[in-house]
Amino acid sequence: MANIDLDKMLAKVKSSQWALADIDWDAPGADLITEEQWPKLKAFMADLMWIEHVGARGFAAMAKKAPDDTLKQIYTYFHAEEQRHANAEMALMKRWGMLDGDELPEPNKNLKLVIQWLDKYSDDMPLEVLGSVIPMLEIALDGALCTFLLDTVDDPVCHQAFARINDDESRHLGVGFHVLEMQGRGDLYIKALKTVATVLDPRLILGIASYVPLLNRMRDNVVAMGLSEEKLYACMKKFERIGGRTAQGRRNPWYQIISRHGRMVVNRDNRAYHAPVDLMVRLTDYIPERLMPSRVPTWVKGISYRPTA
Amino acid sequence: MSNENEQNQNTTAPAPAAKKKKAATRKAAARPAAKKAAVKRKATARKKAVAAKSSRRSDAQSKRNAVKEASVVIVGAGFAGLGMAIRLRQAGVDDFVLLERADKVGGTWRDNTYPGAACDIPSHLYSYSFAPNPHWSRHFSGSAEILGYIEHLVKQYGLRDKIHFQQDVTDARFDETKGQWRVDTRQGDVWQGRAVVMAQGPLSNASFPDIEGLTDFKGKRIHSARWDHDYDFSGKRVAVIGTGASAVQIIPELAKTAGTLKVFQRTPAWVIPRPDYATPDWNKALFEKLPLTRKAMRQALYWTHETMALAVIWNSPLTRLAERLSLTHLRSQVKDDWMRRQLTPDFRIGCKRVLLSNDYYPALQRDNVDLITWPIARIAENGVRTCDGIEHQFDCIVFATGFDVPKSGTPFPIRGLNGRELGEEWSGGARAYKSVSVAGYPNLFFTFGPNSGPGHNSALVYMEAQLDYAVEGIRRILDHDLKILDVRESVQQRHNRHLQKRLARTNWNSGCKSWYLTEDGYNATMYPGFASQYRRQMSRFVDQHYRRVPQTGSA
Ligand SMILES: Cc1cc2nc3c(=O)[nH]c(=O)nc-3n(C[C@H](O)[C@H](O)[C@H](O)COP(=O)(O)OP(=O)(O)OC[C@H]3O[C@@H](n4cnc5c(N)ncnc54)[C@H](O)[C@@H]3O)c2cc1C
Ligand SMILES: [Fe+2]
Ligand SMILES: [Fe+2]
Repeated sequence: MANIDLDKMLAKVKSSQWALADIDWDAPGADLITEEQWPKLKAFMADLMWIEHVGARGFAAMAKKAPDDTLKQIYTYFHAEEQRHANAEMALMKRWGMLDGDELPEPNKNLKLVIQWLDKYSDDMPLEVLGSVIPMLEIALDGALCTFLLDTVDDPVCHQAFARINDDESRHLGVGFHVLEMQGRGDLYIKALKTVATVLDPRLILGIASYVPLLNRMRDNVVAMGLSEEKLYACMKKFERIGGRTAQGRRNPWYQIISRHGRMVVNRDNRAYHAPVDLMVRLTDYIPERLMPSRVPTWVKGISYRPTA
Repeated sequence: MSNENEQNQNTTAPAPAAKKKKAATRKAAARPAAKKAAVKRKATARKKAVAAKSSRRSDAQSKRNAVKEASVVIVGAGFAGLGMAIRLRQAGVDDFVLLERADKVGGTWRDNTYPGAACDIPSHLYSYSFAPNPHWSRHFSGSAEILGYIEHLVKQYGLRDKIHFQQDVTDARFDETKGQWRVDTRQGDVWQGRAVVMAQGPLSNASFPDIEGLTDFKGKRIHSARWDHDYDFSGKRVAVIGTGASAVQIIPELAKTAGTLKVFQRTPAWVIPRPDYATPDWNKALFEKLPLTRKAMRQALYWTHETMALAVIWNSPLTRLAERLSLTHLRSQVKDDWMRRQLTPDFRIGCKRVLLSNDYYPALQRDNVDLITWPIARIAENGVRTCDGIEHQFDCIVFATGFDVPKSGTPFPIRGLNGRELGEEWSGGARAYKSVSVAGYPNLFFTFGPNSGPGHNSALVYMEAQLDYAVEGIRRILDHDLKILDVRESVQQRHNRHLQKRLARTNWNSGCKSWYLTEDGYNATMYPGFASQYRRQMSRFVDQHYRRVPQTGSA
């Protein structure tokens, strides 16, 4: 059983807090980034930072939906922790001279769409949806990408930062899978009905439309950095493996949908999936700037690379 | 929300030594009546003093340490204690003393002098009906004016000589052979009374939050209930921790003077508009010349607040209406939708105290003010670290974090019949009969006792009912020369079963965490009903509900 004691988890989370000030961002080692790495790493870090930020917003929505106070508090902490990851990654970018002055890097267009969707609809999504999407995103994009990063980057400060980030992530995943299982326990019939109802919800379809290309886009980024695609896929399979470890977890209809989707992402030969999605990725690149969501929600502006304020 | 409180000390700083001495001599002169008893018990008192603090013993002290006697010992000289004194005197009982740990009267309104401090029940209702004041300057008067009213009560009813300052009660025990309470103070004095009235206040011990590193901070720390008026906020980087009733009053004021202000919020509260206005002079004159108009005003306010019970206490269509009013208030005052989301409560209105403010939301949107909703990870040398990894640095941190409310204990040990200890009995949540009496603790009367809290009306309306009930009990003890007047256990149990059944259906017990509830969610604080119901219940003192033992009979 992957069941965890949420009260103990909350205590653990509270006692495992760290701050940007705990890391010396000016320590030697920044020059270990090669000239060749630099531009790709810059694009990669910008995306990664935004994904953390988007994940943060997901947890904020989950905190509103949490069925009990302990879980609510845990999600509230996770919300802040994802923000901390984004802040730390921005601090790394600052260290590597990748920030335009103090400016936040622009999110790519897929991210802009996800941000837009999260801002508009995430608070209305049932916990079942978010509770499945978030662990998936976490494993595939967050956890996995971080490991890749450590394979290629030698800067010790980067390793320091990601040691802490990964430590947080292990707790995020633990809770994520616990919740998947919790939900699997409910009455199947009602669950199925609810699932169908949400699938038909146009807001969700919009969300899928922006989330799906995001995964493919990140795959492209990873490949561009010279990392093996297989590693990313291996991580997505981890979601299937861990999430599907118990019957309860497997029974969660959202787990089913998302892992099936994950399988499609992983299977390059599935042209029926990849051709249209890759097209979507390319298409979003061509959406003229003026048609992109223009208003940036306030929560997006809260990121900072400065340890003190 | 029980705060583990390392700093649970008096809300007022100890007075300078010189002042203390003067007070002592003044007190000694003011109490010739107590002198005889004092001489009689000098020997025992001295023994006690030696045991208590041998190092600080002096001649002056041993004189002070004699056992002093009165019919009624009142603990605390805030609204409750002074109200008790007035009602006793009006009922013909004059042999009472008030023990006050500070060196001034006023309790809440002596301690809470932060900028913006005011009541949020209209002054004409937040005052004693038996001591009306036609001169209230505003609908919601400020702290200083309320303190002025309390000090005026002391003068008007000549209570000054009855009050003994710097008497911090640390222990109370009942001697069932004599039918006497013995009350000890930190200063080493011993008081005896046939009855004791607990009027030490529900919100009199300032509480700091349970945040790691609280004492590591090198800058200035100020608690809202112990304001430092000498500290100059202008141009300073200031934090306010907490967004409760005090905070929403402080923040708009501090925002005007501080250089930058960061507000740390854990849970957003429901905020509704505050219909405040200055009372014009003609109106004050009218209230003075025609007391009937003032009474009518009080009645109108009383019944308006009674209807609010329907919204605040129970889940009714009025609850939805109140929520909508509050959300409209939020929408009209806050433009940014993310900030609105941060400020939108996710519990039912009434579950926690509803806040009144017109300038809190606007203050949060000033250029020099930030609302921070990340959880606090710890306090460090230079500021507050939030869980998003950022350290916010400050010159001063203001703690608007409320009070240590004993929901499952007593402020000091209270021993009743057969050595039973009330704190132990209440460890699972406080229980009493009609919030005033507790079985096993005879001749003891609580103000603001268990389940006496109003959610929608003036605390003083409830208080008056308690005071009059206590007078009934005290009169019985004195007039019938009772050794013991003790509420029956079975009566108390029946009362509580009924209470808890009704509480289960209220908004307070609807799932949010608040200082009304114990950690286990037991509600030992609030009264589940209208003020009118409470008053009706208190207006009858049923003799069969109490066990009596006369002084002459054998116990
Ligand atoms: C900021 C604030 C605003 C409020 N606004 C309202 C409002 O608008 N409407 C409303 O109905 N209620 C309000 N209240 C509640 C308020 O506490 C009560 O209305 C009322 O003032 C309580 O009076 P009291 O005499 O019971 O307690 P207090 O005023 O606290 O007085 C208790 C006294 O006992 C003394 N004391 C405590 N312990 C000991 C001891 N061991 N030995 C000796 N003396 C002791 C204290 O020093 C104090 O002087 C407010 C409270 C606060 C803190
Ligand atoms: Fe993360
Ligand atoms: Fe995460």
